[in-house]
Amino acid sequence: MDRLACVSLAAFPLQLLLRRHPEWVAHPVAVVAEDRPQGLILWVNEAARRAGVLSGLRYAAGCSLTAELRAGVVPPAEIAEVVATLTERLGRFTPEVEPSPEEPGVFWLSGAGLGRLYASLEEWARAIFTDLSSMGFRATVVVGFTRFGTYAVASAREGTVVFENPGQERAAAQQVRLDRLDLDPNLRDTLSKLGMATVGALLSLPAGGLFERFGSEAYRFHRAASGDLWAPLQPHHAEEPVRQSLILDQPETNATRLLFLVKRFLHPLLLTLVARGEALAELTLRLLLDGRGWRDERVCPAAPTLDAVQVLDLVRLRLEAAALPAGVIEIELTASGVPATPEQLRLFAERSRRDLDAANRSLARVRATFGDGAVVRARLTDGHLPEASFKWEPLEQVVLPKPRQVMLRNLVRRIFAKPVPLATPGRPSITLHGPHIVSGGWWMREVHREYYFVETRHGEMLWVFYDPDRQRWFLHGKVD
Amino acid sequence: MPSYIPLWCKSHFSFLEGASHPDELVAEAHRLGLRALALTDRDGVYGIVRAHVKARELGLHLIVGAQVTLADNSVLVLLAQNRGGYANLCRLITTGRLRSPKGESSVTWDEVCRHTEGLVALWGGDRSLLVGEADPGDVAAALRDAFGDRLYAMLARHRRADEVRQEARLRERAARYNLPLVAATEVLYHVPARRPLQDILTAIRHGVAVPAAGRRLRSNAEYALKPPHAFAPLFSDDPRAIARTREVADRCTFSLAELRYRYPSERLPDGTTSSEWLRHLTFEGARRRYGGAVPPDVARQLEQELTLIDDLDYPGYFLTMWEIVEFCRAHGILCQGRGSAANSAVCYCLGITAIDPVRMGLLFERFISKERAEPPDIDLDIQHNRREEVIQHVYDKYGRSHAAMVANMIRYRPRSAVRDVGKALGLGSRSPEGIGRGTSLDRLARLLSYHGDVTPEALRQAGLDPSTPLHQHLLRLTNEILDAPRHLSIHPGGFLLGHDPVHTIVPIENATMPGRTVIQWDKDDLEALGLFKVDLLGLGALTHLDLSFRLLEQHRGIELSMATIPPDDPATFEMIRRADTVGVFQIESRAQMAMLPRLKPRHFYDLVIEVSIVRPGPITGGMVHPYLRRRSGDEPVDYPHPSLKPVLEKTLGVPLFQEQVMRLAVVAADYTPGEADQLRRDMAAWRRTSRIERHRHRLISRMQAKGITPEFAERVFTQIRGFGEYGFPESHGASFALIAYATAWVKRHYPAEFTCALFNAQPMGFYAPATIVEDAKRHGLVVRPVDAQASAWDCILEPCPESAGGFAVHMGLRYVKGLGESDWKRIEEARRTALFASLNDFVRRTELNKGALAALAEAGAFEGFGLDRRAALWDVLGLVHARAVSLPVIARERRPAFEPLSLFEEVVWDYRSTDHSPRRHPLAPMRADLTARGLPDARAVAAMRDGRRVRYAGLVICRQQPGTAQGVTFMTLEDETGFVNVVLWPSVFERHALLAKTATFLGITGTLQAQQGVVHLVAEQLWSPHVARAPASTPSRDFH
Repeated sequence: MDRLACVSLAAFPLQLLLRRHPEWVAHPVAVVAEDRPQGLILWVNEAARRAGVLSGLRYAAGCSLTAELRAGVVPPAEIAEVVATLTERLGRFTPEVEPSPEEPGVFWLSGAGLGRLYASLEEWARAIFTDLSSMGFRATVVVGFTRFGTYAVASAREGTVVFENPGQERAAAQQVRLDRLDLDPNLRDTLSKLGMATVGALLSLPAGGLFERFGSEAYRFHRAASGDLWAPLQPHHAEEPVRQSLILDQPETNATRLLFLVKRFLHPLLLTLVARGEALAELTLRLLLDGRGWRDERVCPAAPTLDAVQVLDLVRLRLEAAALPAGVIEIELTASGVPATPEQLRLFAERSRRDLDAANRSLARVRATFGDGAVVRARLTDGHLPEASFKWEPLEQVVLPKPRQVMLRNLVRRIFAKPVPLATPGRPSITLHGPHIVSGGWWMREVHREYYFVETRHGEMLWVFYDPDRQRWFLHGKVD
Repeated sequence: MPSYIPLWCKSHFSFLEGASHPDELVAEAHRLGLRALALTDRDGVYGIVRAHVKARELGLHLIVGAQVTLADNSVLVLLAQNRGGYANLCRLITTGRLRSPKGESSVTWDEVCRHTEGLVALWGGDRSLLVGEADPGDVAAALRDAFGDRLYAMLARHRRADEVRQEARLRERAARYNLPLVAATEVLYHVPARRPLQDILTAIRHGVAVPAAGRRLRSNAEYALKPPHAFAPLFSDDPRAIARTREVADRCTFSLAELRYRYPSERLPDGTTSSEWLRHLTFEGARRRYGGAVPPDVARQLEQELTLIDDLDYPGYFLTMWEIVEFCRAHGILCQGRGSAANSAVCYCLGITAIDPVRMGLLFERFISKERAEPPDIDLDIQHNRREEVIQHVYDKYGRSHAAMVANMIRYRPRSAVRDVGKALGLGSRSPEGIGRGTSLDRLARLLSYHGDVTPEALRQAGLDPSTPLHQHLLRLTNEILDAPRHLSIHPGGFLLGHDPVHTIVPIENATMPGRTVIQWDKDDLEALGLFKVDLLGLGALTHLDLSFRLLEQHRGIELSMATIPPDDPATFEMIRRADTVGVFQIESRAQMAMLPRLKPRHFYDLVIEVSIVRPGPITGGMVHPYLRRRSGDEPVDYPHPSLKPVLEKTLGVPLFQEQVMRLAVVAADYTPGEADQLRRDMAAWRRTSRIERHRHRLISRMQAKGITPEFAERVFTQIRGFGEYGFPESHGASFALIAYATAWVKRHYPAEFTCALFNAQPMGFYAPATIVEDAKRHGLVVRPVDAQASAWDCILEPCPESAGGFAVHMGLRYVKGLGESDWKRIEEARRTALFASLNDFVRRTELNKGALAALAEAGAFEGFGLDRRAALWDVLGLVHARAVSLPVIARERRPAFEPLSLFEEVVWDYRSTDHSPRRHPLAPMRADLTARGLPDARAVAAMRDGRRVRYAGLVICRQQPGTAQGVTFMTLEDETGFVNVVLWPSVFERHALLAKTATFLGITGTLQAQQGVVHLVAEQLWSPHVARAPASTPSRDFH
């Protein structure tokens, strides 16, 4: 019978939260879905559990059980990221690692065929345990025979456990309390009301009766616990990146020649993407510079594309602007794709008189030349201070403008990115219009400005303000 | 420099917009030397009365107005020139309010144009059509036609850049429509320092945090009331616009003092006048009350009262109250007048009150006086479960236009303030900085008392550092927002009735509760203006009595009423002296129970004293202990002057009632009865005003002139100053004592009926049902748990020889959490056909949903089918599934063997499902363990000697921190044998604040005080008892 191990990082999101807040370690701690009194408690630590705080309660209910309760939110993206990292890490100990899709922080590892690498299963378990501990995680590694058995025991114990035979594993699993397992809170509560506190007690209930009363989840749980449910490991396999690389015989500094080298590999890359039903969204060029290490350059077309000419054009612009300090001795191209749409594959697109595609391509070229931050547009924002009344944001796509009909055109006011202190206050020969007062921000940093339009003797119109707190005048803009 | 008049001012009563109280605006205007101010709250006149009172005090001309919202969401400011204009304003606002959801209003331009008489309109400001980009041509012409020269273009300036363009448009249109320009600023607070609070209120109104509120906040702090020297430069280019502010003010001469009120006249038979009809009914009632012949002293009193009622034109009011009482009587609704109305023999004879004021020697002037041109105040207590019938009767009889309920302003208290301000500061946000703070706010709110300021210490306890700038803002703004109105609610029972439509006096709007309309003023406003109010209050004790009487008739055939309960029953008083008064009206609280063994009531009048003495007035006035010492003979009864003996004789020389205070002033200081009543009112307001000081010299010097020692005169003054609103009038004490005696009598003689009715009258009273159950069991009453086969919705009585009184109380299904009355209807209907043969039969025929069935199973309601709770729960879940399958397969499933519930678990399940346990007290299963730890039960504690050190653990059922106790906290703890009263000095409370405020199962170490049969445990240490499992409990009832 093949052996497998369950690695359980108990209350995994909670461990992530405590990594963020190590000062909470002595307190009852919970991970909540939302940081508000009605937020659902998702995970709790032992101290919280001792105080009666269980997952499924509301945060406010938890606080009423213990005033010491500390809580925070752990976003799913953070959990997914760490799970991916750990899956890769556990791959050092076995080729087959399956992260639990339902319970983050639980992994199953195949123990098959490891006899030559590890003297015993105990040693294997200890190696995994030690490695995870070195990463700052509190893990339990249980080596046994079934998914459920190892999972149940791993949820209830700490350290490493290795079962000698299936009977030993079954007996240990039946002792595990249900509140240790990731059960639906309603199901768990109802089972608790029925006096079913352990896996063994649960197994005394008829599986059919459970299905009728609590549905398929409870039924599956019962079958898994009783050993009726067997599912093979479904190890995680990372998708191969779409990548091509080339080692050059001698350092190459000429951008045109480099472009031709890239061109040679671009076509097969695009073909691979097509085979996956994808279009190119980003191309990463890794260039190993002679004696200088790797340098990464990324180019993004205006829209995901399979048009090699367009991509090459962007690569050319980037290489010309790159000013490489040394010759390139190795090139690695990685293509990132997104599912292709019919529009991307269409050969002949209808074109309006204002060719937005062309505009977007142009902007892509600007980005390729000057960097991603080179193309921005102003967006009005909800603030009173002039600098807070708009912001610059990256422009991804050009859209057709819809200008409002304006009867009277405003004078154009050019606002300085940063107000310029004025050496002297207004002179008698100038005319002041104002003040218009903007003040606020008392909750963070109080601001008070008295704005004036100033007409100078030379006919210039300036926009200045007086800051009474600093007792200084500032020039904030000019009127054209 | 010529001054100006602020014509556009909004107070806190433009809810969550204005940031100053109306009286603050008025006082600041006065301080700045402004001769007038217009209060123009958003779609209402909520704050006008407060502003009027302050303006009258300071001699400032208050212009009454409002900013009305139009259907196109623009606004117009309207000011009342005269009484007619004010009525139009009220009508217009009423129209807008009644068609809109609560909290909103909208009127059409056409409606505005139909209500212009007597109103001045100011058109301008950000939200007006006159400054908008679109041309308001049609509206402008219509307004010009309707208002004529009373329409002004309002030039509003706040030093904002965008106002330049708005003003250009306004000036161009004003010239085009020939509108005079008037200068204004939109005043949102009286001083610039309130700007942060205004930002906070804006954020709260929009449900965003201040940092994210953006342009919803005002762009600067130019919305304060400006001094003339700041206003003039703002409009230095247009002095005529400033002058017009004075012109407008001069045109608006209306004052709230002009409101004349006429009470609704009754439709009288045979053309008799209200006065004649009242006289007829009064003497008819007197003959009934006194068994045929009216005693001469009573007749004299009635004549005197009727003359005064006639003089003051109050007959209509008395007839209304009589009619309402008659309606109650005809429909079997228990009611009784309370308060000072019981001083009136007319009220007694009309059946409004139940106390004979002549026989008790009560002072009529406490009720009405000629000197005080204020309407009488009759509060009618009505059994609370049927009060709505009476309210709807009043609406039906007088119509919606002539009857509306009085408002109750919901104001910010520490808890709501900290929550709203905290959120507005972004403390509850989900940003990384906000993590954890949302719940800290919640924790802070839980730690706060109902009253008082929020302190840095409270923040610290909640885990917030009071030294950080953000938390300092929280602290400052929370305290600043306290007492600001949050929204309008409805008074529990106050009605304004008018001969003229009410909406010509004050706008009416919709209440949240369907079928209710509410005026924009609260009871203090009505009192300040001298308007009549009819108070129809719900009283649980009357429901309790009514249900008790019905049970007595149903089960024993005894017909009983308040009037036929035997008076002065020794057994009842013996029970009262033992403080065995859980569930007895007024004398069941911890403080009352502590007083009863000392006061030892033997007669009805002792009860009048009992309910009146445990009040802040007598306590802070230092009257309690002298009275008790004199009553027990430890101190001689003497009088400071022989002339005061008749006044103070009933209370052994110590003034305990408001009437005595008034009489004392009359006898010892030659006050007229009306002046004496004014003294009482000034006493009541002494904390807010300095009016009391004008009595001080007069009282003391006149008493001295009569030969009373200066020390006594000073003491009397101190006593009555602390008395005011916190002391009962004797008549009120007597009315309440009557109900207290009646409930005590029923408890003493018919405990089963008493308890059953008390359960069915819940929620009411001082104790949770769990405590009432335990008390009933200690009195030998059998209390049966809910049973699906036998229980009704309400609790019922069942013959049971073993139970006290021969009946057991069967708990009703209303106590099962998760079961609704509609569920009960299904059970009742199915049971009417036939009793249930089995659980299967129950599930099938009632068709209750899974939640309701599970709730019944967990409550043990299916034990009658021979199923314990676990088995019932398992079966119910299975049967519900089977019911849902369209073609159920007949399958015999073996029911698993479930572990029987332990004694402890049974109680836990009871509390979880019904909040009480008829089976046993939560601590009973733990008693052996507790005893082994050396912890005594309550009965043992009660028997211990004075001064003994005690360690005790019990369930906290009540916490109190009375304002009169100088920070002392009182707790009542309970176990299966009774109560233990605990006293916590402030230092102990502070040291164990978290435990003291939150623990439900609490350990106390302290010293016992046992004197005169009253036992208190004075706490020194509080601790959390270490037990294997925490006992079940309900939340304590906390009073602050």
